[in-house]
Amino acid sequence: MKKTLRLVAVLVVLVLASTLVFAACKPDSGSGPTPGTDTNGVVNNDFKVGGTVILGSTTQMGGDFRWTGLGQSSANAADQDIQGLTTGYSTMELNQGGSYVWNNTVVKSHNEEVIDAGEGVENLRITIEINSGLKMSGGTEVTAAHFLAYTLAMSTPVSLEALGYNLAGQAIAGYAEYSAYNGTNDGQAVSTRYGSVTASKKFAGLRLLDTYKFSIEIAGPDYYPYYYADTYGAISPEDLNLVLGEGVEVKDDGDGAYLSDAWYATTTEGEGEEAVTTYDKDAHLQASRYDYYTYEYTGPYTVDRWNATSSEVTLKINPNFAGNFEGQKPHVETIVYRLLVQSTQFAQLQAGEVDVIVGLTDGSDINQALSLVKTGNYGESHYDRAGYGKLQFNCDFSPTMFKEVRQAIAYSLDREDFANTFTQGFGSVVNGPYSVNFDSYVELQDELEANLNPYSVSAVKAAQVLEQGGWIYNADGSTPWDKSKSPVRYKKLAATEYGPNNINQSYKGVGEDQNLATVKIGNDYFMPLVINWMSTEDNAVSELLTTKLIEGTALTNLGMKITKTETNFVKLQGELSRIPDYGYGGTPTWSMYNLATGWNTAMYDYAYNWISNKDNEEMYDAYIDYSVNFLSDDEPLSWWDDENKGLTFDEAVAKAGGADKLGMNYISYAMVYSVDPGDVDEYNKWFYQYLIRWNELLPDIPLYSNIYYDCYNSKILNFKTSPFFGPSDAILYCAVSSAQ
Amino acid sequence: MGRYIVKRLIYILIVFLILSFLMYVIYDLIPFDRARELADAQKAAYKQDPEGLERLYQRYRVELGLADSSGNDINIVRRWLNWLGITKLNGKFNGILQGNFGVSYTNVQKPVMEVLREPMMNTLFINILATIIALGITIPLGIFCAVKKGSKRDTAIQVGSIIGYSLPTFITAILFIFLFAIVLKWFPVSGQETPGSQLTGAARFFDRLYYMALPLIIMTFCSLGGMTRYVRASMIEALSMDCIRTARAKGVKEKVVIYSHAWRNALIPIVTLVVGWFLGIFSGSIMVENIFGLNGMGKVYINSLNANDYDVVLTLQMFYVFIGLLGNLLIDILYGFIDPRIRVNK
Repeated sequence: MKKTLRLVAVLVVLVLASTLVFAACKPDSGSGPTPGTDTNGVVNNDFKVGGTVILGSTTQMGGDFRWTGLGQSSANAADQDIQGLTTGYSTMELNQGGSYVWNNTVVKSHNEEVIDAGEGVENLRITIEINSGLKMSGGTEVTAAHFLAYTLAMSTPVSLEALGYNLAGQAIAGYAEYSAYNGTNDGQAVSTRYGSVTASKKFAGLRLLDTYKFSIEIAGPDYYPYYYADTYGAISPEDLNLVLGEGVEVKDDGDGAYLSDAWYATTTEGEGEEAVTTYDKDAHLQASRYDYYTYEYTGPYTVDRWNATSSEVTLKINPNFAGNFEGQKPHVETIVYRLLVQSTQFAQLQAGEVDVIVGLTDGSDINQALSLVKTGNYGESHYDRAGYGKLQFNCDFSPTMFKEVRQAIAYSLDREDFANTFTQGFGSVVNGPYSVNFDSYVELQDELEANLNPYSVSAVKAAQVLEQGGWIYNADGSTPWDKSKSPVRYKKLAATEYGPNNINQSYKGVGEDQNLATVKIGNDYFMPLVINWMSTEDNAVSELLTTKLIEGTALTNLGMKITKTETNFVKLQGELSRIPDYGYGGTPTWSMYNLATGWNTAMYDYAYNWISNKDNEEMYDAYIDYSVNFLSDDEPLSWWDDENKGLTFDEAVAKAGGADKLGMNYISYAMVYSVDPGDVDEYNKWFYQYLIRWNELLPDIPLYSNIYYDCYNSKILNFKTSPFFGPSDAILYCAVSSAQ
Repeated sequence: MGRYIVKRLIYILIVFLILSFLMYVIYDLIPFDRARELADAQKAAYKQDPEGLERLYQRYRVELGLADSSGNDINIVRRWLNWLGITKLNGKFNGILQGNFGVSYTNVQKPVMEVLREPMMNTLFINILATIIALGITIPLGIFCAVKKGSKRDTAIQVGSIIGYSLPTFITAILFIFLFAIVLKWFPVSGQETPGSQLTGAARFFDRLYYMALPLIIMTFCSLGGMTRYVRASMIEALSMDCIRTARAKGVKEKVVIYSHAWRNALIPIVTLVVGWFLGIFSGSIMVENIFGLNGMGKVYINSLNANDYDVVLTLQMFYVFIGLLGNLLIDILYGFIDPRIRVNK
């Protein structure tokens, strides 16, 4: 028995010791981010080629590397990385700051010209001449036809049948006619979603001008004028055999590019009612999409091996690749891209099973990464997240329809403390919908920081704005508000404040607070300052918000009550966007949600996010789905009045009687639809005013913006990431030390 | 026997149909609209044309069998029959009976069977090995403990097995990874093959085996406790039977008493568990697969649930229902072979 006890004791000690050692290996806490790193990711083509780098993603790859997400409900992030590494020579590419820039390695010259398309419509024609001598992975020279093939093919009924997608050329003049052509109906009237159009075999807005020259005509008024219209000219070449298969050519007789008849060839099987006709190229497109080895690649890497069993892909360098927009060529010979398990990612990094771990935001993870960096065997790259966690409001009903209430919440919440606590010291607070990496923000930073209201915690200001907003009543309609009489404030609603379907007349809290309801006293309605908040389950942000907003005394002292409802994300989506299929019951109940937002590029188009509901009810109904906050702010200029379109910022300010008079509906449209592509100074004026107005209206309250850390094996040289330039982009600038 | 099996197969069919309807209704109740999600994915392309977006949504509803060509909702019973392939959807029979298990939207839009093929092979690979190893250890160990009941070794094994049985899989997995992969560096931390390896044939098989070793050890370790204790209990009961005493009194060799007389009697309750284990080889281990990044059924299952990929979930659940029903039949038939007193032909 003694021996047994000894054995048991040894076992228990071993388990405990392992646990202690494991716990002891946790990183130091409390140290902050180290500023700057020793790598800068500048262009360097002096490296020697060689070595292997293993990249990882917590998203399991799906093998859809050619046209990731095409015709599908979403795109797989890991597949997108592989697509990015194997696709190149785009006429425009995203730079480290998230902006589209012309790719001078590919583009010899480009010219933009405004074309009168008749009936007051203007198109933008972009003529592009590419450099000769650009080669794909198999040695085939890239010509203008390689650039046009994809847009021509993926705008036809053939691609629609095969891949469920035919929208590639939708921004280009003549798309409606071209996409209606099915191989047999050239010149015939066809009913489409654009109305009745004359089907055309030729794509009028797409021209194959010579071997190295082509043009794209961006269609007005839907796609031009538009600040980002030139990005419609960002197209990549594709292997003709990949896209078109055997026997199809890209042609142009002088009035529009088109595909030869073989593209539209069909086969009919069965007879009579059972007869089924399919395009012959249907099978080709479905097969070529997942054929990794037959067709050539245009990017810095080619797929050498796709292992579906382990969801792992091996990429080999493409020696023919001439470089990206900065002329950077690859120097890492082999890239292995595999599934990364978040819970053991540091162990994988240290075991050499992966060379880079990305997007660390948790304080203990970052500290662990920094302690690895201290060993000298690892490096780190950190950057501010292009996005933020936020409180989001529905602004068309309930107390949150009043900006004073939203502002009062902001004044009552210590966001600095919140961000610091939540990000464990590795985060910051933003005061508007921007990334500190945006070119426009960088340009205007001083002015914005001076003029954006940070809503520093102030119970006095919170009470002031509420009183200014009319939240001065007790439950019995008496005023001023007295906490001993009424725990929450009430507001007397004007007739214009009843909300959609007069919902505010019967508005009330949920759960235990449903007794806090709008009361009718005489002919007046008094709404209680109770806000129904909906959150997802097991959400760390929600827990911290509960501590700050519900368990704290700031809001109760102010006469405000917040109720909390936890649910799953689908139900939350349903309530947020009012989708009955997602569980929305038909009556808006919750008007505050904690969510997050972010940007993949610096393209900043918020038109349609703001709705005009006063002059144009049709517009309201049509665009409410696009609205994030259901907020209308359209006084005094309406974008839908033609004479207000196309005004410069200064003209609009003069007409409105001051910049502060411009509403979000107008600004959001004008900043992208009244500014010519490339006119950065004019755009920045709108951008500035958009942020200022947004900061005043506060449809969301930004809570925290993380600092992201990437940790990598120091064998990788010249590694530098940014929010818009992830490891799969940054690796192009890198080399492996052992190969040097 | 033949009649009995046919009768049971008919029962299986009926139960399968009832369960399939219940499952279909349950997933239909979840507030999620695939047609809406597919249409919304193209929202940006319809910025200028909200009505076009609505038409696209309606088109998806028709394609997915939620509405008829006139846009009218199709009732749930008819949708269930369409899904089974008993009635026509959009003019043709195209359901489970025709081999169409639907479409997965989790990673890449692909037929469900295509999505399940690789994970199923991976799961079978690891689970068959884990099950065989676990049974190979637990049965002899359980018998040994029963025979040596009350001895120090029995007590030690009981203590060890209760610890193994009580520890959650993820704790065991993390401790084992720390010990064997990080400290001792005997095994890789995760993955299924050496990254970037170009191995083929036997070399690849052994490479995979090396990567599978740690998950296998963990799965085996986690299953030792339960089965060992179960076999032990069953054997103790069998060894206390009169027939065993009689056999010993007759001078039958102890080995024959244990492995022929007692083990056969102990086998009846164990066979249910053992068959259950073998049926479980199709279902994967959510915990182990996620911790080791294995592309198996458990991972697919949880990913599909999280992504509202209900065609995959329904297919998997119906597969498990079918396997479960078939397993019960198998257990009943096996009883007859193990214990001649049990007859299953009525």
